[in-house]
Parts: sequence; structure tokens; C-alpha cells
Amino acid sequence: MTPRRFRAALVAVATTASLTLAGCTGTESTSAAPTEDGLIPVLNYGDFGGGEMPKENYNPFLLATKLSATEYLYERLMIVETYSCQEIPWLATGYDWTDDKTLVFDIRDGVKWNDGEDFTNEDVAYTFNLIKENDVLDTAGVWQYLDAVEATGDSQVTFTFKEPGGSAFQMINGVPIVPEHVWSQVDDPTTFTNAKDPVGTGPMTIKSFNPRELTIERNPDYWQADDLKVKEIKFHKVDSGGQVEQLKLSRGEYDTQGMYVPDIEKTYVERDPEHNHYWYAPGGVISVYMNLTEKPFDDVEFRRALTTAFNYDEVVEKAQLGYVEQASQTGLVIPGQEDWLPEGLENEGKMPYDAEAADQALTDAGYKTDADGNRLDKDGNPISFSFKVPGEYLDWVAASDILIENLQDLGFEVDQETPQPATHDEDRKTGNYDMIFGVYGGTCDMYRNFADPLDSSRTAPVGKPALSNETRWQDPETDALLADLKVATDESEQQEAVAGLAEIMMDEVPNIPIWYGAKWFQYSTKNAVGWPNEDDPYAGSNDFLPMLMHLRPAEDSGDEG
Amino acid sequence: MGYFLRRTGFFVATLWAAVTLNFLIPRLQPGDPAEAIVSRLTGKSEAVDPRQVEAIRRLLGTPDGSLLTQYWDYLGELVHGNFGLSYTYFPYTVTEVIGDAALWTVVLVGVTQILSFVIGTLLGAWAAYRRNSRVDSVITLGSTFVGTLPFFWIALLLIYVFAITLQWFPDGGGYGGGSTPGWSWLFFSDAFQHSVLPALSLLITGPIGWIIGMRNNMVQELGQDYARLARAKGLPQRRIALTYGARIAILPNVTGFAIALGSILGGTVLVETIFNYPGLGRLLLESVSNKDFPLMQALFLFTTIGVLVANFVADLLYGVLDPRVRRTEAA
Repeated sequence: MTPRRFRAALVAVATTASLTLAGCTGTESTSAAPTEDGLIPVLNYGDFGGGEMPKENYNPFLLATKLSATEYLYERLMIVETYSCQEIPWLATGYDWTDDKTLVFDIRDGVKWNDGEDFTNEDVAYTFNLIKENDVLDTAGVWQYLDAVEATGDSQVTFTFKEPGGSAFQMINGVPIVPEHVWSQVDDPTTFTNAKDPVGTGPMTIKSFNPRELTIERNPDYWQADDLKVKEIKFHKVDSGGQVEQLKLSRGEYDTQGMYVPDIEKTYVERDPEHNHYWYAPGGVISVYMNLTEKPFDDVEFRRALTTAFNYDEVVEKAQLGYVEQASQTGLVIPGQEDWLPEGLENEGKMPYDAEAADQALTDAGYKTDADGNRLDKDGNPISFSFKVPGEYLDWVAASDILIENLQDLGFEVDQETPQPATHDEDRKTGNYDMIFGVYGGTCDMYRNFADPLDSSRTAPVGKPALSNETRWQDPETDALLADLKVATDESEQQEAVAGLAEIMMDEVPNIPIWYGAKWFQYSTKNAVGWPNEDDPYAGSNDFLPMLMHLRPAEDSGDEG
Repeated sequence: MGYFLRRTGFFVATLWAAVTLNFLIPRLQPGDPAEAIVSRLTGKSEAVDPRQVEAIRRLLGTPDGSLLTQYWDYLGELVHGNFGLSYTYFPYTVTEVIGDAALWTVVLVGVTQILSFVIGTLLGAWAAYRRNSRVDSVITLGSTFVGTLPFFWIALLLIYVFAITLQWFPDGGGYGGGSTPGWSWLFFSDAFQHSVLPALSLLITGPIGWIIGMRNNMVQELGQDYARLARAKGLPQRRIALTYGARIAILPNVTGFAIALGSILGGTVLVETIFNYPGLGRLLLESVSNKDFPLMQALFLFTTIGVLVANFVADLLYGVLDPRVRRTEAA
């Protein structure tokens, strides 16, 4: 048995156990009273990263192995929240493009490092030059765009770019700012674990660590301390398997968690409908990739016909249990990115399921059916191809079952192949597939959202791994729009380029978006209110700092969170 | 003396082969660790950022030079006990990571293996001594029956009954979230609490092999001519069984036991996964699924060395315990 299969078996057995159990354990509904100074004494969060046996690592640049508490230690210049991409001034109070190659941030006054030193614009300049010298720490690749970063004036930092730098704005705000007076003493920042008393500007500091539990506590000198109402956060190691975790969630042991739970209404919400809530905001676009180097997928008429061939609703309701939304053919994530939609678009670019129209369009494009209903290519041979989907991703397999059935109804001969995820990813990268699911977009970096799947410089010949353009889309018009978007610093220019790209998605169909992957997020309003949700999406569920600053003791404002 | 020399030579040759295979196998595996790490972090619902993959690939570093120079470097690092930095726990070294996990496995599995061996051998001997009696049927049939139950099923049943329903013991982990690992009484009792269920699950299934092996060997020995002669001479049954039968019958079990002790490192994946025990087995599984080559390599190496050393010791021990072996090999 492979380890994964084995786990699947475990899950199956344990599900029975936990379901039986869910019926017979009561929900604790004792709520911890706020402390005298109006703070929430403690909140219980889920996993803190760092593998199965975590070790202390608060180096914010080691993105794969740092513990997630690091997010509460270090801050960014601006926070671009991930739901609707609003810019929230943070360590910087604002910014200004003096020209399209020069970006100036105004650094906030009165911020202190948690060791008492003042935070200055020198620290910001130092941080960027640190990741320049140690380029493996530059995880977003900002220095591919930057020419220099300098502290200017009393409290400004000036970024100069090699070429117009609009598309680098996101990346710059992804860089956590570290203190010069600490990091300049570090021998090798690439292997620095920062485990002992990490110095940051963030709202929390490390209180205690054990591989099963990590506790952070309120930084009383935080620059927004007045709005910081959480005294302590305990992160709990979430062990693989997840069944026991589900049980803990439904018992109310977590104030927030971000995990996949089958039938969330029954296992979680119904256990305590007053307090238990979930909000599954859309993540990336999960899309049908067709190998554009192969017939008949290289034919735009063919691809366009397929956009109405799929039963999107059934995928959403059955394969994805209604937790997600149908994706817009534009490749934009709706509703978060609805402002970017081109004007005059019907139904936000969400395609209807209309098998007859698809049949007609295919026939018109020269793909007729024979007497037995088999779909023929232009030479009169039956069209057959495979659909690859990782066998372990059960919801993806279920979705592909529906899509394959839709294709078969149109007379195609489609085989399903279910390789291991690693093989699947490898095949997708090297173009060794006919039809396959791909994921892209959904970030606030509009350039990346479209360049990753569509930029001709991010592809490679079949057989060689593509950087990210796995369908092998090559189109001069797309590249020109991407080039515009890359350098655009002005909102209307960006709008124009994105609208152009969205239209290409609609008309030329480089891929067919099906649904938006969900960001799992459960929360309880027993101890704290103010969590982001559908009614108040002030930030995404993984924007930890804006979320923390919104939390208030539960007694303050009733139960609606 | 020739016997021991030959055994030593054999040991060195297998060790070299194991070390070399250990070098080759990860390099033949498909897949890119950086890609695996980023995909795992991102999850399947969001887009992987190719720039992150690139940055991590550069951070972890890719081995350069020809396969032969890599091999030479690898041997050199090995001699110095330097296994590099773990990918999963970067920038912690493989040695640190394994060091933390090893104690848990060695204590849990070591203790249960020894107990299993003792219990199993005693029960097996008892069953053989009272062969075809009710005791024998209960022991033999009982252990055969328990042996057919899947281990993970027994373990999950234990969790369900004792951890979830009765809540006598924790459901997993090596220790609780509140206690600080260290040399304190509080931590020890906490760790002991956490070890009860995994140990129990190992003790239910552990002795079965020993019981059956011991019983069968001993029944056979007791049917030999010398046993019959001893009975004819009027030696007491108990003495024939324990001093003669059991002493010979235990020999194959000694080898088995040495190997079982040697494979502690690798043989605990299942129990540690189910109980989320912070030991080597889970580390091994994690390193394989993360393509953490340095960690994987070191763990495989320790496992093979463990088995080889145990085998070697068993061989030597066998030579001492059973003079016939030395003589046959010499002939």
C-alpha cells in the first residue's frame, strides 16, 4: 500500500468512527470572558506549519519552512488583502509613482521594533538590499525588476526600476521588513532560524513553543495596540489524517480553522448554529487545459464550441458539494475581481451549459458525427483523447467524471487516466496530456494571473517543462497586452489591458475555467467576533493581520461575526 | 576464527552495497523537491507561483559535478557524519532532525520489541510444553486469530475506545501541547500517557510471530530422538522441555530478534502514523512524500546499517551459541 492509499484507508475507517461519535458528544459552549482590560484572553487556531515535527523557525524569508506565527512578527509596507485586492496602508502610510520607474513610499512614524528600537526607513532599504545580496531569499523575484532601493529624506524609501515597474508593486508589498540592527549581525541569513526572541514590528511576540503547540502573545507596544484586542493565540499542531481534527472542530475546540470538512453544515454549523460559521472564498481558477499543440485543440472554433459543452452547475453542486462557484470564462475571479471585467459582458462571462449549442457549433466547425453518434475530426476519423486527473484528488476526479460524460454525450471518446499527483504535475508541465485540469489566477497580481497561463515566454516545447504556460498558448496579441499590463502603473491602463486579456479568454479560449477552488475557513463567534465573511469581506481568510486587528471580544457586539 | 572473519567480510561488502544504493536510489527518483514543497504549501485550489519554486530550488541547491564526483563527495560527507540540511526542516540539519525523533522510536519500539519477544517466547514455550492441551489451543488459535486482524484496525479500535469514547488516554502525539519537552517528571508522565496506546497496539500484535515460531520449533525439538532418550532415561518433563528443547528451539528466534531490533528504525511507519507519534517512521514517510532527499537518504542509511549490524551480531552470536554452525561453515 502506498502511504497515501494507506492514509485514505485510515480516513475511511476513522470517518465511520467520528461520524458515530458526532452524534453522541455534546458541544461545549462555555465562552471565555474577556479580561478586565477588554481583551480576548486566548484564541485557538489551527496548524502552525513546519512539517510533522516542527522546529522553531521564524525567518520570514524561508517561506517553505518558517512557522506561520512568523506572519504575526513581521509586517509589510502595504497590505494588499487577497479578497478584493484593496490596499491597506501598513508600515507605509502611502506611496507615489513619481514616474513609471520610480516609486516612493512614505514610512510610518512612531513604529517600534519589539526590542524597543525605532523602526525607520533605513530598515526598509536594508531589508530590500539584504534580499538582493542573498538572492535565494528574494522569493518573489523583486530584484528582476528593481534597480535600487534607498532610504530618502526623513521617512521615505525610493524604489527605482530597470523598466517601468507597475507589475512589481505586489511583489514589493510581499516582502517582510526586518530590523537592520539584528539582521546585520547574522552570519548567514539564508540559514538563520531566528529562533531566539525574534525582533519584528508585528502585533504579537512568541510566548512559548513546543512541537505540538505554539503560543504567541500581544505586543503591548504595537503601533496599533489600541485596536489589538487579542491577548494570546495558541496554534495547535494539526496531524495528518484530519479525522480527529474534524472532531475537534465540531466539538468547538478551535476559534478558527482552515481545513476541508465534508458536509460542513452537519459536522460543524449544526453543532452550534449560533456561533459556528464558515466562509469559503474563491481561490484560484480551476480550468480545463487542452494541449494546444494537438489537433483538434489547436482549432479555436473547436475550443469555443466546448465552452458550452460542460455542465458547470453539476460540477459545482455534485463534485464540489456546492462550496464553490462556477468560474468565469474570463479567467477573473468573481466577485473579488468583478471590477476588472470588460464592459458589456453577459453573465460575468460565466458560460451556460448548452449541449445542443455545443453540438451545433462543433458541426458547423467541421466536426460532424457519424451514424453511431461518434464525433469525427475533419478527416472523418473518430476523435478520441484522454483526460488526466490525479487519482487522489477525489473531488477533481468527481468533476472530471461529469466533464467526461458531457464530452461523451457529444460523441467524443474520452478515457480517464488517474496518475499520482507528482506524475500528473510533471505531465502537465511537459505537455504530456490531451486534457487536464490546471490552476491559475486568483491573486491580486493581475499581471501574474494572466502571464502565468498565457505568456509565450513562460512556455516550452512539448517534452520540456514549461515554467507555467502549460497549455502552450502562443499569441502575439496576448503577449502585447501582457507587455502593456506589466508596465502599467495607472489604473485605467491596467483595466484596459486586463479587459483585453479577458476578451481573449472569451473569444480564443486558451483554456476553459470551470470552478474556483475554495479557501477553507471556519470560525466561531463564541469568543471573538469580527471575522471576515461573505457579508463583510474586508479581507481574505488568509490575511492574518487585518483579521487580527478586526477581532473583538464576543460580548461587545452580539453574535454576528 | 575463519567463521568470524568471513562474517566480517560479508558485513563490510553488504554495507558498501547498501551505501551505494542509498546514493543512487534518490537520484533515480522522478520529481523536483522544490516543486513538491511549493505545491504542498499552495494546496490544490490555488495557483502555484513558479517564482517561489525557482527561489526554493536555488535555496536548497542542486548537486553539481558528475555522478562520480558526487558519489565521492557523498562518501566523504558520510565518513564525517555530515548528512546536510533537511529540505522539510530547512535550515536544520538532518542530524538534528533525526536526533529529535530517534529517542521516541527507540524507546517506544525498543521496549515493546523486547517485551514482545519475552512474552512471545514464553507463551510459545508454554504452548509447546503443554502441546495439544487446552492451553496450547487457546494460545495458538488466539494468536493466529489476532494475527489475521490488520494492525491499523486494532490501533484505530484502541483509539476509538480508549481515547475518544472513554477518553482515558490521548488520541495521538508523543506528548501534550501544554507540556515542555525536557527532563522533568511532569513531561515523563505526560509522555508515558501518550505512549500507552501505541505500545499496547504493538504488544497485541508483536508477540504473535514469536509465539508461533517458538512453539513450532520446540514441538519439533521435543519429538527428536534425544528428547525421547531423555524421557526414556526418566528425566523430568519440565527439565527436558526447558533445558533441552527450549534452548535449541530459541536459536532461530534469536536471529529474528536481532533483525527485529535492527529494523526498529524503518518498521514503525504504521504505528507512528496512526498515533501521530513523533518518531522516525513518520519522519521517513514525510521525507518520502516531500522528496526530502537528504533526510530520506540518512534514514534509509540508518535503517540498512541497523539491519546489517543486527544481522552481523546475530551471526556472531549464533556462532557462539551453536557450535554446529561454526563447524559446518568451516567444512
